[in-house]
Amino acid sequence: MALGKIKADTLEHSTAGALDTQYVVNGSAKAWAQHAGATPLDSFNISGLTDNATGNFTLAFSNAMGNALYAGTFGGATAGNFVCAYNDSQFTASGFNMTCFGYNGASLADPDHATAIIAGDLA
Amino acid sequence: METPSFKGTHLFDRLSWAKENLDGVQSDYRVVYEDSIDECAKILVPDPNWMACALQGGILPPVWVYHELARDEAMPTFTKHTRGYLLHDTEPMPAMTEEEAIEYLIMKDCPQEVWRNWDTGNKPKMVICRKEQLPGSREWRNAWKITEELSVTDLAA
Repeated sequence: MALGKIKADTLEHSTAGALDTQYVVNGSAKAWAQHAGATPLDSFNISGLTDNATGNFTLAFSNAMGNALYAGTFGGATAGNFVCAYNDSQFTASGFNMTCFGYNGASLADPDHATAIIAGDLA
Repeated sequence: METPSFKGTHLFDRLSWAKENLDGVQSDYRVVYEDSIDECAKILVPDPNWMACALQGGILPPVWVYHELARDEAMPTFTKHTRGYLLHDTEPMPAMTEEEAIEYLIMKDCPQEVWRNWDTGNKPKMVICRKEQLPGSREWRNAWKITEELSVTDLAA
């Protein structure tokens, strides 16, 4: 970044050992989002949310991932009774699809809040 | 606040700067589109942090960069992006108006077959509207369609 930069390959603690900074770079989340129904609340590295249907949303990255082989964690809540999941066949380097189910898992439904965290390699 | 000179700076770092320094902008614009006659209409909603970047200028790459990456990803031999440098090294876009940002977002996040051919049928495949023009209740969300009463010629006029 233009505003100051520390370059280091290793972080070392006085007693706990050393850590290669590649672990920090590769292990950090590359995108996250929280939305209330179809309204984005806050995020990082997300350009837009597509409301596909009830309980079905697609989020697009600003900085694409290297490919579709990344990991996602999803959650949803409406008084705690929600499950949000993903279909990794709908992961692409440019975005991902998430689906949300009511607590009984039988049908898609809109959670009051849904969250997503993405980790992996950037393009 | 003035955007630092970001040409050649990794896009992820530019987004990090924006997250730290810019307030999110909730847009009232919505893009309604249909990419299948068998499915309900889809609604594209701009992300507030992304919109702040678009309005600020000097952060987002030109939209053609995303089209190049999409072309690479569509190749049967694609395994991993090798032209990510286009995101980072291309001169960033200047500040956009909210309307220009929506047009950019359409070309980035809507299927190309929709926005390139939005006016080729009896009714438009895509409509830009305000949030309050959408139904207030989502009870019948899966039945939402662009109205047949909206003709392409009416819109052009």
